[in-house]
Amino acid sequence: MTATLRALIVDDEELARRLVREYLRSHPDIEVIGECDNGLEAAKAIGAQNPDLVFLDIQMPKLTGLEVLELTGRRSGVIFTTAYDQYALKAFDHHAVDYLLKPFSQERFDEALAQARKLAAAPAAAAAALDSLVADGGEKLERILIRDREQVHVIPVDKIDCIEAQDDYVGIHTEGRTFLKRQKISELEAKLDARTFVRVHRSFIVNIAQLQAIEQHGKDGHAARLRSGKRIPISRAGYERVRTMI
Amino acid sequence: MHPLFADVRKLLWTMAAWLLAGLFVAGLLVTAGMAGWGRALVFALPVVLVFGFLALSAYFVCRSLPMARRRWPTVIAVFGGASLVSGFAWLLLCQAWNLAGASLGEERGFIDMTPGATAVFFSAGAGLYLLSLFAHDVLIAFETVREAAEREAESRVLARDAELQMLRTQINPHFLFNSLNSISALTSIDAKGARDMTISLAQFFRQTLSLSEQEKIPLADEIALCESFLAIEKTRFGRKLGHAFEIDDAARGCRIPPMILQPLLENAIKHGLRHLDDGGVIAVRATVGGDWLHIAVANPTAPDDGRPAARAEGNGIGLRNIRQRLAVLYGERARIGWERGAEAFTVEIALPAERGPA
Repeated sequence: MTATLRALIVDDEELARRLVREYLRSHPDIEVIGECDNGLEAAKAIGAQNPDLVFLDIQMPKLTGLEVLELTGRRSGVIFTTAYDQYALKAFDHHAVDYLLKPFSQERFDEALAQARKLAAAPAAAAAALDSLVADGGEKLERILIRDREQVHVIPVDKIDCIEAQDDYVGIHTEGRTFLKRQKISELEAKLDARTFVRVHRSFIVNIAQLQAIEQHGKDGHAARLRSGKRIPISRAGYERVRTMI
Repeated sequence: MHPLFADVRKLLWTMAAWLLAGLFVAGLLVTAGMAGWGRALVFALPVVLVFGFLALSAYFVCRSLPMARRRWPTVIAVFGGASLVSGFAWLLLCQAWNLAGASLGEERGFIDMTPGATAVFFSAGAGLYLLSLFAHDVLIAFETVREAAEREAESRVLARDAELQMLRTQINPHFLFNSLNSISALTSIDAKGARDMTISLAQFFRQTLSLSEQEKIPLADEIALCESFLAIEKTRFGRKLGHAFEIDDAARGCRIPPMILQPLLENAIKHGLRHLDDGGVIAVRATVGGDWLHIAVANPTAPDDGRPAARAEGNGIGLRNIRQRLAVLYGERARIGWERGAEAFTVEIALPAERGPA
């Protein structure tokens, strides 16, 4: 019994999408449910339709392929395609994630599809690989993506005042607003540039560019006052860390 | 400044050598019976040391006659004259020093200055100065050869680096592989389209290879290259890519370094048009004003949303590359500036307008 697999094709070039469609013709058990030509549309489509399989280009307008995964939390049923991307490919090889190099043949395409079908049967392993890929990312974060129902908020990292841990979420304080993102604060800390973002407290990361002053707080504690006026506590370890930075 | 003065150790060694020579001269004086050791040394050491410094002036005499342009009569006159003058000057110095000795209590000075001695001192001074001239000549020749070899090695390295850089910019992997992928797709959709694109791609690379070998090309050739490039990109991006070229007739014939414009168009697509839902139009203008060629490239951009490319990161490297190439060829006389406006990115280049055979 072969159930039909629902597939989404994501690539900003129409010819590339048509090529994937053509290659899929020899796989009658796969139904193309949609096409997207940029990362933002892809994120929405994945959220709305939850396809079994996504053909995902890496370099795209609006959001990159990796950002789409990060935003949607999707960790399975993905086949990456790219013409050339040295940095991404190193990461892919490192985390044992399969990808197709354009231009690819029908044979190569079929191989990747067979691999994806196998992984669908053992989703946990596949998810682990993609998890570490997305977490690793490579370069330091330049922007944080937050999904808010139908909308996607893009927050440039230098506009962030501070980040506050709230159970399974983090609150990102930026320009007077706060956005919630489902992520552990330590994960976020690892991906942010340590020269700008300092973990001053178990529950707080501060952007030192937004730091106005460090004040005494209580007997021998400290607190940080930001340009916005907000005050956040600084732990003893955090004080050591931030002291060396300024 | 004499090169010896730059190296204190060498200077000290040289002075030590001259002191030894002074000892030798003193010894000669003693052997000739002209003075005892004491007086001979007091006389000889200072004057020989001074001669040592005097001999260094030979460096400047040699420098004043560049080897490439020497003519025998001039050399003989200058070298001969300098030697004679030095010999004479040194003789005067010796005699003055000797007489100084007289004021210190020695009747007729440290040594007995006979006419014979005078002649010897003069000849020695002149002869040794001449030797110094030849020695300096040899040293300068060595130095020139060494510098030339160094410069040649350096320029070979630079040339190879530039060549490698050129090759890298020519074979843009993204462009190549994406184009090939498009051709692959077209083979079953539109065979004629596939063939056309294959030919355009080959033409583009052929043009790139031939143009980049030349130091300067007419702007018209660069424009033709850009049009080949855009023809290929239009197949990939369709209606998202529009272009408007306004090139003055006078500008067409101006000679510019190759691959200045094409990378700018590539940037305009990669960092600008691609990210716009409906794409846009790349505008290129080239005008000649006075002695200057002005080229401007403008394209619409998506609002800055923190994407690294939007911050002209990727743009920056290519643009700085062009700036460097222009600096190498034109020095201060060429300018490239770029600006990221709210909705558009513009690049402006100003070059001296060189009209050549078109």
